[in-house]
Amino acid sequence: MKPIYFVLFLLLVIAGITGFILVGEPPAGAAGSPHPTITSMSIGGDGTARLEAIGRAPFYFQLAVILLASSLLYMGVAKHRRDRRFLLLITAVASFAIFVWYKVYSGYEAYLATGQADVVFGFPMPTNWTLWGVWGSFLVFDLIYIIAFRAYFLPHEDEAAFNALVAEVKADADAKASHSAAPGDA
Amino acid sequence: MEEMREPIILSSVFIYLLICIGVGIWAMRRTKSANDFFVAGRGLGPIVVSLAVFSSTLSGFGFVGGPGLVYSTGLSSVWMVVCSSLGYAVGFYLISKRIRMIAEVRDTISLPDVVYARYGSNAVRLLTALTILLGVLGYLATQILAMALVLQSLLAPTEMFAGISLVACVGISSAVLIFYCVTGGIIASVYTDLVQGIVMIISGALVVITAASVFEGGLGEASTILLSHGGEDIMPFGTLGMMASLSWFFLFGLGLAGQPHIATKMMMNRKLSDNRIILPMAVFGYVIAAMLWISVGMVMRALVLGDVALPLGSPDQAAPMFLTKYAHPLLAGVVFAGLFAAIMSTADSFLNIGAAAIIHDIPKAIRGRALDNELFWARTATVGIAVLAAYFALYSYYENAELVALLGAFGWGTFAAALVPVVVIGLNWKGASAKAAVAAISSSLVINFAVQLMQINIPYGISAGFIAMLTSMILFIALSLIEKPKPLPKDIDRVMEL
Repeated sequence: MKPIYFVLFLLLVIAGITGFILVGEPPAGAAGSPHPTITSMSIGGDGTARLEAIGRAPFYFQLAVILLASSLLYMGVAKHRRDRRFLLLITAVASFAIFVWYKVYSGYEAYLATGQADVVFGFPMPTNWTLWGVWGSFLVFDLIYIIAFRAYFLPHEDEAAFNALVAEVKADADAKASHSAAPGDA
Repeated sequence: MEEMREPIILSSVFIYLLICIGVGIWAMRRTKSANDFFVAGRGLGPIVVSLAVFSSTLSGFGFVGGPGLVYSTGLSSVWMVVCSSLGYAVGFYLISKRIRMIAEVRDTISLPDVVYARYGSNAVRLLTALTILLGVLGYLATQILAMALVLQSLLAPTEMFAGISLVACVGISSAVLIFYCVTGGIIASVYTDLVQGIVMIISGALVVITAASVFEGGLGEASTILLSHGGEDIMPFGTLGMMASLSWFFLFGLGLAGQPHIATKMMMNRKLSDNRIILPMAVFGYVIAAMLWISVGMVMRALVLGDVALPLGSPDQAAPMFLTKYAHPLLAGVVFAGLFAAIMSTADSFLNIGAAAIIHDIPKAIRGRALDNELFWARTATVGIAVLAAYFALYSYYENAELVALLGAFGWGTFAAALVPVVVIGLNWKGASAKAAVAAISSSLVINFAVQLMQINIPYGISAGFIAMLTSMILFIALSLIEKPKPLPKDIDRVMEL
């Protein structure tokens, strides 16, 4: 399957989930409510109640977004350079990002069920998974770019091919310029 | 030291503004052509480009609006920050190489130039340029207004400037911005970005340390206070909830590469291989500076909910109030300079791409060639756009706040929705068509305008920009697939093979 079809499929999945969420009647305070006494603040209210109408739709939404992002990044490497190893790398990092997302979501669900959360390194655990886990999981894609730069993103042959193209374009432009200057010279 | 707080802050800001003027004068000598003015002759080193990329990404919003959002809605907006590693990955995987290659092969100086090279369509070029121009005016007006309000809050309590008007503050801040942008063009812009980026990283790191020491138990104590007052605010999705946070992740993570002021910087590096250095520096610069966003907002919210501090009049006061009350005077000075840096580093990028749209892209799309004497007209257009944006800023403040809000809607969300399909997907897929590009850009403009004009409230706090971006991406791919692919020009075809 060509990556662009997979990208379109994932976009349609995301649109479908979004449509499902928008079609239903949102509960009161679905996007927070004003703080009862402090005018410049909002509160979250009952987290469980505001998810009742949409269930686990946000979980699947983000799952599709992670796959979409990974597919787009896969498209960023020239077609003839996309080998099995690169596909494996992208799949592994996407799987890691999905695992982190699962930890964020399940941690939040556990908090909604119990009202308790351990505070570690200054933040509740699910928040730590968001701050460091989500950011860190996508950071691995950045590391792949740095480490495998010459293997996938700008191999020496591609750089040489580009330099040859630039030289050709310049030679063409010079030839055109001298051609247009010739009658005046004569 | 405490009694010196005011003079220290004012001196820091004054020194910073002088540095900007100095860089403008220095850069003027290096600006000899429109190519120098708009893309710095494609001769910048990796450190300059990386700091310019990250400092343009994090505008005044990151230093004022960001902490304000966390104060007001808890950690919902943190999803705009944690997506940065994905955002930069998308930018560097998908466009940094091709955009730089096309810039050299076709001698392009703007994003609409690149779009024209890819699609061969003046309609796409014109729509891209108009989108940029609308977004630039809105963004610039809000940045100039923010800069003037901060300057007024700094100057008004002093004896010498007591009662200084907002108009005068708009005049002073715009004058500095115009001066270095007009004299030095993008060269001044990127070298001031270098200074601005360093100031932002230092202030971000120091503020986090300060914020962590406000409570004896550090950020953990702040978290515990918030957990005892409802708790949703300190959990991953804040008070706005999951869908608001996740729609921001989509919009900001996948949309970063569609921001024209960031994409344009990717044309300016000297060597293609510098991208390998630029990416990590931009990612880490951004995340350190953005820590200010999270820590200050969170601590101010905990202070107010814990009855240690009085509630703020508006969320945007979170950062200034924190600096005034809890930061060491020297740190407050650096951070206030950092605040100006954050605003100016984005504003100067917008001035540059806005001027390119007026004097280069729109004339080329309509009459097939740019204006004669581009450098002169570029400087004139820069002054014109800045003056117009300053007028919008004042008009919105005194007469009609909706105007700038409307233009502001043409900010990040519209750029992402209009340009991600056309640039990010289009530069990596030969099947993308010009008609699909026109449809994608038009749909994104219509959706964003409609939501703003009709004041549509989307359930669950889902971002309108996300809806627009999702729609334009689907339209772009689906319409392109329906059409029979047209052959690309040979040079562009070869670039897309690399």
